[in-house]
Amino acid sequence: MKTKIILLALGMFSLHVTAQSPVSGFMQNSGEGAVSLSYNYESFDKVLLVPSEIDGVPVFNEKSLSSFNLYTEVGLSDRFNVTLSIPYIDAEGEASQAVLDETGFENSRNGLQDLGIHLKYLVTSLELGTGNLDLIGSVGIETPLSDYEVDEGLQSILAIGNGSTRFNTIGIATYKLQNGLFATGQFGYSIRNNDVPNALLSQLKVGYAGENIYGDVYLGSQKSTSGVDILGEGFTGFFPAAEVSYTILGANIYVPFADKLGASVGVGQILAGRNIGKATGYSAGLTYSF
Amino acid sequence: MKTQLLKITFLMVLALGISSCENESNYEDETPSIANIAVSNSDFSTLEAAAVQGGLAVTLSNSNPNDPSGSYTVFAPTNSAFDRLGLNEETLGVLQDDFLTSTLLYHTSNGDLLSSNIEAGGSAASLLGVNRRFIERDGELFINGSKILATDIDASNGTVHVIDKVMIATGGDIVQSALALQNSNVFVNPELTFLVEAVLYAELAEALTASEGSPSFTVFAPTDQAFINLGAALGLTFEEPADIRQLPKETVQAVLLNHVVANGGQFTSELSQGTITPLGGDPLTLGAYTNGVLTVQGVGNENPANMGIPDVQAVNGVIHVIDQVLLPNL
Repeated sequence: MKTKIILLALGMFSLHVTAQSPVSGFMQNSGEGAVSLSYNYESFDKVLLVPSEIDGVPVFNEKSLSSFNLYTEVGLSDRFNVTLSIPYIDAEGEASQAVLDETGFENSRNGLQDLGIHLKYLVTSLELGTGNLDLIGSVGIETPLSDYEVDEGLQSILAIGNGSTRFNTIGIATYKLQNGLFATGQFGYSIRNNDVPNALLSQLKVGYAGENIYGDVYLGSQKSTSGVDILGEGFTGFFPAAEVSYTILGANIYVPFADKLGASVGVGQILAGRNIGKATGYSAGLTYSF
Repeated sequence: MKTQLLKITFLMVLALGISSCENESNYEDETPSIANIAVSNSDFSTLEAAAVQGGLAVTLSNSNPNDPSGSYTVFAPTNSAFDRLGLNEETLGVLQDDFLTSTLLYHTSNGDLLSSNIEAGGSAASLLGVNRRFIERDGELFINGSKILATDIDASNGTVHVIDKVMIATGGDIVQSALALQNSNVFVNPELTFLVEAVLYAELAEALTASEGSPSFTVFAPTDQAFINLGAALGLTFEEPADIRQLPKETVQAVLLNHVVANGGQFTSELSQGTITPLGGDPLTLGAYTNGVLTVQGVGNENPANMGIPDVQAVNGVIHVIDQVLLPNL
């Protein structure tokens, strides 16, 4: 049962736009899996530009994102899992009617964002002391599900994504103790089209996975390997080309409350970064396991 | 157990090292662009909105492709400067986008114009093509009628100086400037429509039109409301500009000539308390220079007029928009 709880604690308690890693550090057994539906809300009124943080999102004063995310992970075998995620995102700004009239902008953008499909392969599982070290490799793709706009000038401050297709390769090491404590680290590289800079991805998560509760704390990071600064040299008004880097701190709790059902809540906070909103986010989700 | 803890610690340190790679120290020493300075400083929020509406936010993010130094120099009006014209982020929509763009270009020039290279009596070209003049008054430096509050703010793509008034140039002569306002090329709603009608009726358009060797003037330009109020005071009803023709042409001529001073065209920074003589001959009385403006009163006025929009630069002079018609001895 302890193992099962861990498995239910999927990777998708996500704050979607300031996304956690698309894959978790745990594997599903063959034929087993879980589906979760989560609601995420994040907002910011400060933006981390270079060289300093600014108060107030240009034009829109504040940006908030509400999203629903359908996520599933299935064990095709004990060593081979597949994950799928489909988010719907609504982005809202707080520009006054006068400013909207002046600029012709709108306070809302929404739509299906990016389909994510990742394959995970358990390379090896080593017994170390009273625990297990799993080494997992993952490859995946994320690609827009709708033709949401990303090139509307400053209106695209409210874009729901960056419009790129991303190919991700991620290496994961998860160390689990029999008493339920665990630590999982990831490091990956994301290749992106549509002039979106490629990025290094990393995440460290430590937590506890017991029979009646699961909890984790994580520190995640994206570092773009190129790109321009918003309002800096080379900026053309095309926001996806920005060098988006950030560090996020977050935590999740998951509690099973009925046979095969569980509920999760999460929080996250962008600590530092460049060309990104200083977002605070919350999430709540329901998970059905099978 | 010790081994396990070591391993967990090892993983943590590894991932932390990777995770923490983005922080402020990576870039806090970088110099911001002019656009970034406008966006970062809460006292430039109207300028930021103007740059957005005027389509210059991206331009001022980047190096200047038309100058070898890659620099721009921007005289940046504060929010208070825009407030003087009733302009803020919410009200910029009263201005036409093209005029807003031109106005921002008038505040901008190629290259780094540092304060050490600015001298009273000198001038500097703007990206609009119209020159701005540097003026010293009481030991303080002005560009046109705008006081320079702070100088030499360094940007990655140039230099920013802070000013207390928005500078306005129409690019045309006095008549063309009035026509621009009348034809809604400046404000979305027309203004100075009675004045333009009066100038045409009084057959003074030619005298105020720039030509080779023609003189430059300081012009006090009454608003439409000023003319409507004048009509009421005379027991007439001025509802539309043509109603000005209820007055004898000679009277309108005399009144208009009371608004034009052939002194080369002076900004508020060059005007002082006292009297000046307009083309009409009866003196005008200027009040004290207060908060960057002066009142002006004709001999036939009970109270002085206030400047609503001072220091509009035209090719052949400077226009100050006022809230009363200046009356001579009729």
